Amino acid sequence: MTVIEVEDLSKSYGDTRAVDGVTFAVKRGETFGVLGHNGAGKTTTVECLVGLRRPDRGRVRVLGEDPARRRRAVARRMGVQLQEGELPDRMRVAEAMRVFATLYDRPGDWREVMERWDLGHLGGKAYGDLSGGQKQRLKLALALVGGPELVVLDELTTGLDPVARRETWTLIGDLKASGTTVVLVSHFMDEAEELCDRVAVFRRGRIAALGTPRELTGRTGTGSLEEAYLALAEERR
Amino acid sequence: MRAFRSLSGSELRLLFRDPGSLFFMVAFPAMLLVLNSGSDDLEIFVPGYLAMILAIGGIATLPAVMGTYRERKVLRRLATTPVSPLVLLTGQIAAQLVMGLAGAVIVGGVAVLGFGVAPPAHPAALALAFVLSALMCYAIGFVIAAVAPRARTAELIGLLVMFPMIFLAGAAIPREGLAGELREMGEYLPLTQAVTALRDSWAGTPSITTFLLISGIIILGTALAVALFRWE
Repeated sequence: MTVIEVEDLSKSYGDTRAVDGVTFAVKRGETFGVLGHNGAGKTTTVECLVGLRRPDRGRVRVLGEDPARRRRAVARRMGVQLQEGELPDRMRVAEAMRVFATLYDRPGDWREVMERWDLGHLGGKAYGDLSGGQKQRLKLALALVGGPELVVLDELTTGLDPVARRETWTLIGDLKASGTTVVLVSHFMDEAEELCDRVAVFRRGRIAALGTPRELTGRTGTGSLEEAYLALAEERR
Repeated sequence: MRAFRSLSGSELRLLFRDPGSLFFMVAFPAMLLVLNSGSDDLEIFVPGYLAMILAIGGIATLPAVMGTYRERKVLRRLATTPVSPLVLLTGQIAAQLVMGLAGAVIVGGVAVLGFGVAPPAHPAALALAFVLSALMCYAIGFVIAAVAPRARTAELIGLLVMFPMIFLAGAAIPREGLAGELREMGEYLPLTQAVTALRDSWAGTPSITTFLLISGIIILGTALAVALFRWE
């Protein structure tokens, strides 16, 4: 079953074509990587998926709904972690978890999500006093507190130290195992190679390549997704 | 309803944790009251303090909070949850109203119980005047939040609008004490209507005209805020 369908998506800001005719689909339970340089159109594509932007052209369906028209219907079943998007500095960790849980119809147990993301001991700490890595973990936990069928994670492990990164990968693995569909926007090719079933490499608003990490390395005759990415993202036609 | 309760509760706790709001909306008015407690006509001062509390919260704090939420993309983050924008805004308003009420009850309580001010003559009218004055201040606050490009500017404009207004409108000090021209300026300020409605309801005869005028300002301000407000 298809969870995300994007057909010929285009979005411009003034004269700049941020996304230019992008087509892809994500199946239920799949972990899908959205890769590309800064300005390649990743964030705009994600913003169209989560209903923050209305496409100029093309068709977007997320969980069977048009996110631009039925943002809240989609949001009920989707968890989002944005690259930007802070919390009030004086809001405490447990408070944020509890408040976000109340925004959903059938939230998971927020205490359990907090524990799983190693935030249990930080419950009384104010957001403004958290380290970068702790903030990142909280943002991830908040994306999952609503018990989503689909999670969209923008820059999953940015700001995390290597140990926390590995731990996060394990948790994303658990999420995959539970059947949750994951869209992962990333700069890190090792991460995409480890976690993603398929990846789309964005280049200047278009998808330059789409396939499993193995297919892309095979197609480019390279040894790793990192090398394949460099070949695909830099390639001029 | 659950989302509204938890969001407004959380906003209220954030206000209480902010030393600035706590001081200016609760301690400062009570302090002014104590400083003026020697005065014979405290029942003129007290309703003004209620208006002042609402102006500080609605015209200064509210736009600063909204400006910060917009700049730090808190609003954007919430836009990816199922919460409706209306719940978000009413939650914000409810928190302000409870905070204002807390300040008002303390000032009013101290005045009546501590300094022998006569209790409100028209409690129902006073309650209505309080709520309408509050909504008026929030409408002004949202207009400021809408036109200010950044969090800092929202805060600054809020202070620049609020401070002269609480003095010229007779909230911080009764207008009777102002010189002719300054007093005249007060005639045209929205907050003056709030002070009048609160004063008339506390000790006097509430006039329907004042209430209608305040309602008019609320409608105008809300329409303006809706037309101008940007989530990002």
